[in-house]
Amino acid sequence: MSAMWFERSGSGATKTEPVALSLEELVTAAARGNEQAFAELYDQTSPRVYGMVLRVVRDPAQAAEVTQDIYLEVWRQSARFDADKGGVLPWLLMIAHRRAVDRVRSAQSSMVRDDKYALLHEERPYDSVSEQVQTSLEAQRVRRVLGDLTPAQREAVTLAYFGGYTHTEVAELLKVPLGTVKTRIRDGLIRMRDALGVMA
Amino acid sequence: MTDELTGLVGAYALDALDDDERAMFEEHLASCAECAEEVRGLRNAAAELSHLSEVSPPPQLRAAVLATVAQSRPLPPRVEGAGDNVLPLRRNRSAALWQGLAAACALIAIAVSAWGYSEHRDAQRADARVSVVETLLNAPDVRATTTAMKQGQGTLIYSRSEHRLVLIGRGMPVLPANQTYQLWMMTKTGEPISGGVFRPDPDGNVEVPASGDLDGVDRMGVSVEPAGGSVQPTAATVQVLKL
Repeated sequence: MSAMWFERSGSGATKTEPVALSLEELVTAAARGNEQAFAELYDQTSPRVYGMVLRVVRDPAQAAEVTQDIYLEVWRQSARFDADKGGVLPWLLMIAHRRAVDRVRSAQSSMVRDDKYALLHEERPYDSVSEQVQTSLEAQRVRRVLGDLTPAQREAVTLAYFGGYTHTEVAELLKVPLGTVKTRIRDGLIRMRDALGVMA
Repeated sequence: MTDELTGLVGAYALDALDDDERAMFEEHLASCAECAEEVRGLRNAAAELSHLSEVSPPPQLRAAVLATVAQSRPLPPRVEGAGDNVLPLRRNRSAALWQGLAAACALIAIAVSAWGYSEHRDAQRADARVSVVETLLNAPDVRATTTAMKQGQGTLIYSRSEHRLVLIGRGMPVLPANQTYQLWMMTKTGEPISGGVFRPDPDGNVEVPASGDLDGVDRMGVSVEPAGGSVQPTAATVQVLKL
């Protein structure tokens, strides 16, 4: 559960000491039906997954439900995880984010949906991340890096990630052209990537 | 890589594309090493954001997850080089069943839109009909057959396990007020059983839901009867539709 994990997984270090298995090794074991390894994977990743889902969907009961779906999906897809395309946690969080957003959207579509006004004015305020008190070192680090983005970049990135909005919706919400939002998101992420030292 | 696609890299890594954009970008991604590299880095950065929302899940969730997992098995790996990390995600709603039902669905789409049309007249009945179709669609043994009638055509959608059937009539002659159509379930041995009377709309279109035990029923009949219907079909006018 550390930010260092990305470097470790990329380095392909040989395992000489009996340390805990890497997330990648856990996924590989899970793909062969190893439930123990999967339980370990859950233990190591679920605070990140559940917390993000909770932030997006808001309701703890729904967040738990969605998280359960996510881990079933991860279990089912474990043999199809491809380390060449990225690490376990980004893969898992991508699945999780997609599911969380799906949940929010299906909840919306069960109400009246073809109303742009409703979309723009609904009561779904995104958390301004700066209000939150975080204690973990990683969180402090990420917060610092996020604080170094321009306010416009920060806003676009957090709206999309924690608000679960598409970039088109972000553009509508902010009343700026889509191209501007694309640029803000991309530049913001590039800046985060470079500052956090998370390499591809 | 084109400017348009370049612009999508960040939003893709952040999962901020809609379904169409994502599909388009993933197609491009498969053949663009440069984009794939950038996506990896940006996705790592996006994943770091989840540190900010980290929180312990409710303790009982662990047991629930592991119980679910114990009842399922991982899918086999992809063998052909098609292994995306790029998420299967759209839920697989028993794809095989739905593919098998494609033909029936097409017919039902027609039927449902026709019902939608009549909705302003009789919203509740239309809803009831739609739910009959839904029930039928979900039946594992749903079948559809279309028969050209003397005038117009009739499609039967039915499920023996659900004991349900819908007749969709198209281009049927409109009858005078003192006559009506009547639907019959016919077996090789017994006498025809009435499935009810019906009248097409002015364009000759009609949907008739019926329910009953279809065991042994191999044909449906449509006859023209005096208004109010008959106990037994008037043989001369029966149009037979085979199941």
